[in-house]
Amino acid sequence: MDPVQTEIMKNRFTAIAEEASTVAYRTAHTTFVKQTQDFQVAIANREGFFFAFPVMTGVTSGSGQTIAGLTQHFPIDNLQPGDVLISNDPFSTGGLVTHMMDIHLARPIFVDGQLACFAWSFVHASDIGGAVPGSISPDLYECFQEGLRLRPTKLVHAGQLNRDVANILRDNSRIGDAVWGDLEALMAAMRLLDRRVNELCARIGMSAFERGVSDVMSYTEIRARRVIASLKDGTYRFSDYIEGDASGAAVHIHCELTIDGEEARIDFSGSSPQVLAAFNFTTGSRTHPFLCLGLINYIQTMEPGIAINGGIIRPITAHAPPGTVLNAEFPAAMGNRFVAVMRTYDTLIGCLNQAIPDGIAACGAGQAGIISCAWTDPATGRNRVAVVEPFSGGSGGRVRADGVDANDTMIGYLKSTPIEHVEVETPLVVRRHELVPGSFGHGRYRGGASIAIALECRAPEVAITVRGLDRFRFRPWGAFGGQPGRNSQVTLNPGRDDIAIGRVKLQKLVEGEVLDLVSSSGAGFGPPVQREPEMVLHDVRNGMLDDIAAEMVYAVVIRDGRLDEEATRRLRSSRVPAETVSAVCFDETRIEYERDWPPKAACAFSMALLAVPAGLRKTIWERALRLLLQRPELVSGDMEELVRHVQLDNSRQQASALEIDPPPPGRPR
Amino acid sequence: MFRIGVDIGGTFTDFAIWRGEGEGYVRIGSHKRPTSRPDLAQAVREGLDEIARHHRLTPDSPFLVIHGTTISTNAVIERSQPPVALITTAGFRDVLGIARLRLDKPVDLFNRRPEPLVPRERVFTVRERLLADGTVDTPLDEEGLVQALRAARDSGATAAAICFLHAHRNPAHEERALALAGAHLPDFPVMASHQVWAQQGEYERATLTLLNIYVRGLMDGYLGEIERFLAECYPQARLFITKSNGGIMSAAEARRLPIHTLLSGPAAGVTAARELGGHLGLDRLLTFDMGGTSVDVSLVDAGREAVSAQAEIGDFPLLLPVTAVEAMGAGGGSLIWLDGGILKVGPRSAGSDPGPACYARGGTTPTLTDAYLIAGYLSPEGLLGGELPLRTDLAEAAFAPAAEALGIPVVAVAEAAIEVATSTMMARIIPFLARQGVEASDLAMMLYGGAGGIHGPIVAAEAGMQRIVVPRLPSVFCALGGIVSDFVYDAIRVTHGVVPEPAAFDALVVELAAEGREWLTRQGLSEQITGLARIDIADMRYAAQAFTLPVDISLCGIAGAADAFRREHERLFGHSDAEAAIAIDSLRVRMIGRQDKPHAGGSGATSPGRDAVSRRRIYVGGAWHEAASVLSWNDLDPAVAVSGPAIIERDIATILVPPGFSARIGAMGDLDIVRKD
Repeated sequence: MDPVQTEIMKNRFTAIAEEASTVAYRTAHTTFVKQTQDFQVAIANREGFFFAFPVMTGVTSGSGQTIAGLTQHFPIDNLQPGDVLISNDPFSTGGLVTHMMDIHLARPIFVDGQLACFAWSFVHASDIGGAVPGSISPDLYECFQEGLRLRPTKLVHAGQLNRDVANILRDNSRIGDAVWGDLEALMAAMRLLDRRVNELCARIGMSAFERGVSDVMSYTEIRARRVIASLKDGTYRFSDYIEGDASGAAVHIHCELTIDGEEARIDFSGSSPQVLAAFNFTTGSRTHPFLCLGLINYIQTMEPGIAINGGIIRPITAHAPPGTVLNAEFPAAMGNRFVAVMRTYDTLIGCLNQAIPDGIAACGAGQAGIISCAWTDPATGRNRVAVVEPFSGGSGGRVRADGVDANDTMIGYLKSTPIEHVEVETPLVVRRHELVPGSFGHGRYRGGASIAIALECRAPEVAITVRGLDRFRFRPWGAFGGQPGRNSQVTLNPGRDDIAIGRVKLQKLVEGEVLDLVSSSGAGFGPPVQREPEMVLHDVRNGMLDDIAAEMVYAVVIRDGRLDEEATRRLRSSRVPAETVSAVCFDETRIEYERDWPPKAACAFSMALLAVPAGLRKTIWERALRLLLQRPELVSGDMEELVRHVQLDNSRQQASALEIDPPPPGRPR
Repeated sequence: MFRIGVDIGGTFTDFAIWRGEGEGYVRIGSHKRPTSRPDLAQAVREGLDEIARHHRLTPDSPFLVIHGTTISTNAVIERSQPPVALITTAGFRDVLGIARLRLDKPVDLFNRRPEPLVPRERVFTVRERLLADGTVDTPLDEEGLVQALRAARDSGATAAAICFLHAHRNPAHEERALALAGAHLPDFPVMASHQVWAQQGEYERATLTLLNIYVRGLMDGYLGEIERFLAECYPQARLFITKSNGGIMSAAEARRLPIHTLLSGPAAGVTAARELGGHLGLDRLLTFDMGGTSVDVSLVDAGREAVSAQAEIGDFPLLLPVTAVEAMGAGGGSLIWLDGGILKVGPRSAGSDPGPACYARGGTTPTLTDAYLIAGYLSPEGLLGGELPLRTDLAEAAFAPAAEALGIPVVAVAEAAIEVATSTMMARIIPFLARQGVEASDLAMMLYGGAGGIHGPIVAAEAGMQRIVVPRLPSVFCALGGIVSDFVYDAIRVTHGVVPEPAAFDALVVELAAEGREWLTRQGLSEQITGLARIDIADMRYAAQAFTLPVDISLCGIAGAADAFRREHERLFGHSDAEAAIAIDSLRVRMIGRQDKPHAGGSGATSPGRDAVSRRRIYVGGAWHEAASVLSWNDLDPAVAVSGPAIIERDIATILVPPGFSARIGAMGDLDIVRKD
């Protein structure tokens, strides 16, 4: 590495990447882009790895991606200056596209006739057609329901727009013009990147540019290695679940992290096969950033000044077997995948808690809800759709700090919309939007509190949908003796009908009805009785905890808003935390579930299931679960055997079905 | 009228003096005193007395004092003021705690939302509700309100802000609440959100209201003290205060709405730059104000200061139209270090204690100032007017470990560090300009402040700028800004979702303009106002788009607004849509009461140059220039251009003329550095 030029080149690359991202953000059309900043513009080297990735604007977590899955479809000889490549196809882009709502673009940048690098961009299109407005619904089960899919294609040939492709895109979205507006914004930003790279090369020369690209990535790699080297060597395992499958079975995510010197291996073998619901994602059978987010975030936390680029992922190897939820195959539905990504992240944090001497964090609320509403405009009779608010819940308590109220780490980039804006844009009145006292998982460092939002319908009828919900069944787990967080709750007409409706799919409200949503919350970190009494007092004074809970849970005595230090000391001395408050604190439901269905068995079963042809997995899965209900002792047996047994049973039943339904007699052959 | 601009800085309290009618820009004078702590007013009083003596001002002399201060700014950043309380609509107690939800650094596992200015225990809710169109849904619970006010006072709060939902649309409930507060708790200061800034967005509006009452006691006390001093010693003098929007207001207004002073410090400098740019025929400027620990950059475009509607102060959004300033933590004290063999500059700073190694105050880590010295940009004798010699040996010793580790000479490390710092600044300046839709190479740089004379030209050269201007009085430029500022008032009406018909829209403009004129009258200097100007801005967007663009509709009115929007969209983004529906979310009217100003006439030329060139070895572009010219600004011959690389020195500033540029004294007594072709 060049000791002087490396930092200068890093700053130059940062300047042009941030500039381009800013331009795209300012120009983008859709509310969704504004609220969630779910877009990005960056520069990748010829191999497809990013050497500059913006952090001031847009999605900041994709720096470890490669765009090779898109560019590999176009041999260099077929590329020309001014080309723009496009795709939103998860199945042919090697994990670049992780669900079809993300439209990716790439533009080769030529300097003096030589391919120097690629400008890249993506935007989460608010709608690309399909079964539901917004294209995402948790219950969709194959990609064809999720809208238009475009395999890698040239959208622009040497500066000439391919109007056919543009028209197909515009005609297949409910808001085609707005989506096209976003794509134009991205293309303008990529043109700017092209110009800036050419200006830079004209000034410093192509070889200095290439040296800079390589040095900047090596520098990041070295710093990433430094962080991994500080972790304890060994192999660590952790499991968690997604609840969303329509079958009622929990989807198992199993993570195995191995720290070996300054390198890390992450293996998700044993995780559940892909499901007939929209929370699969693809990772292209490679080290994909979605499989390493917890570790990448940890590296960035420990090395705050690290340049964000593809070098960060070099010391990591990750694997998710094809056919699992984390590396799904055609024609899996993926719209709602972010819940699965969050849970993947949670399992890696669960492993890191074992690899980092004092641990790092308890589990957060674990959902990434986006509340939307649809209604008929009385004046025009047209359907209108609007995003209301993001809806998550607090993050988990951390080794040196409480969790963040109302927002989990993984979606910390989400921005809320002013209620005063929501009430102009929608026929809803928001009756409350506030934290829920006492809702967090208790701990030495408590979890972040739940958030509540109550929506009253002021039109004849409004349909509310919330995607990205989870945590109605297994509560977020506590760490190092901290208590679990809470589950989510949804109530229709609180105080009147009080109908508990669980996970909202599509909830119709008529005028005057109220839908009240209370989110899950973050779990605690460390035993509550070790919490600083001052911090307990702070929560009590702020009305986030009552003095009974202060005494019962935290052994802190508070009288008339004052800390009784003497009484607290006495109470605490009698309540030493049990020596082996196991590192992880699961809730009862999960403990019971795992008694019947231990993670080890679930892993073995998933692997056995992956070995049978994809078309049979669903049937076998369901039958095996039924069989296990009847004969729970089989759980401790050989899962390959079980799968084989059910499969045979399956073919026998098919055969017998033939016998039961013989061809009608007398019909001529 | 005789005018004195005052600006309190970290080290010096600066004064700029204009004797009034008939005096040209080039005759503006300056004065400095060390800033007095903790009694900031002391240096102001003493400085004013000294100026009065020197200019023979008597107790009967009428004159204006235009004061810029950052004491409110610092109070917010340091959160040094006594507690205040918030009263808001039931169901929204956590409006401050939730803020806008987003975390600044989502990838940081220790991320957190900043602590709210008011903790939950001092947020009180009241049953009342307006709907988005301003109609009443739930009437104000008057008893509950009085209880909430009492609870707020009993909680130890010294004042309370009231922010009810949709009060920007209909202030009725807030007005009633203020009346009840006045009747039941007459001694408890209370302010409501519609009185401060009637913008949509409950979190941002509540924050503005709270910040206003938070610094009000402090500003009231400080400004009251200055006013008492003036009343006693100079009863004919009048006090005015600079605003964050680049204008000024009466002291009484500032005591009521100190929120408008929070970002006024850097704004006054940008106003001064705009004014000088106007005299020089430069209407597109990048301003560059570098001190010991930070650099502030801003933009003048088409002869106007860039306005930001998304400014921040400390941990808080400041949703007022203010002069857009990008503040960067890079200054002369930025530390230079090695990270595993890679050369880094900042973000940590040596500050003033111990300061750069060459100050010989015990600092051993090299800083940018040490790099300037080693490269020969700074004189070892220190600044011309200063008493502090700079120790090249200590600077070199501080750099020695890095030079050894990198295997290159000390001076090469020094220049490389300067280059790293330049690239760091560029990484912030370029995205800042991108947000304004401007490219650096189209701008001229105007640099001022204590430390910008070396790094400003380097940044300008790197950014492809053609011209750099250093004003005649760079070190009191913000104080000078007060002298050349106009009265500027901003008014807003939110039209989101209920855009009025064209006729009603025009009536709204007239209404806001009348509000502005009334405000100008209230400032109490109507006889001094030489003209009125109005800028009408519509915040517009495509109906399907989420972002608004500020569009100047002063000339075209509502009738031409759609076309003006499309032109602006085309200019900023390179595309626009002739058919898509357009929405107007708010209307802002800026009313400007022009003041008499120093004219551009007269000659800035000083006495004919006394050829006093000395020579010094300086290191630029990887090589020593053995005999670079070093001149004193005051000795420059206006007829002769100095070719870079060269150094120009003056009392408290040193200016580098980069290679490829040449410098000469300009028409306004400024130093004009232009790129040679």
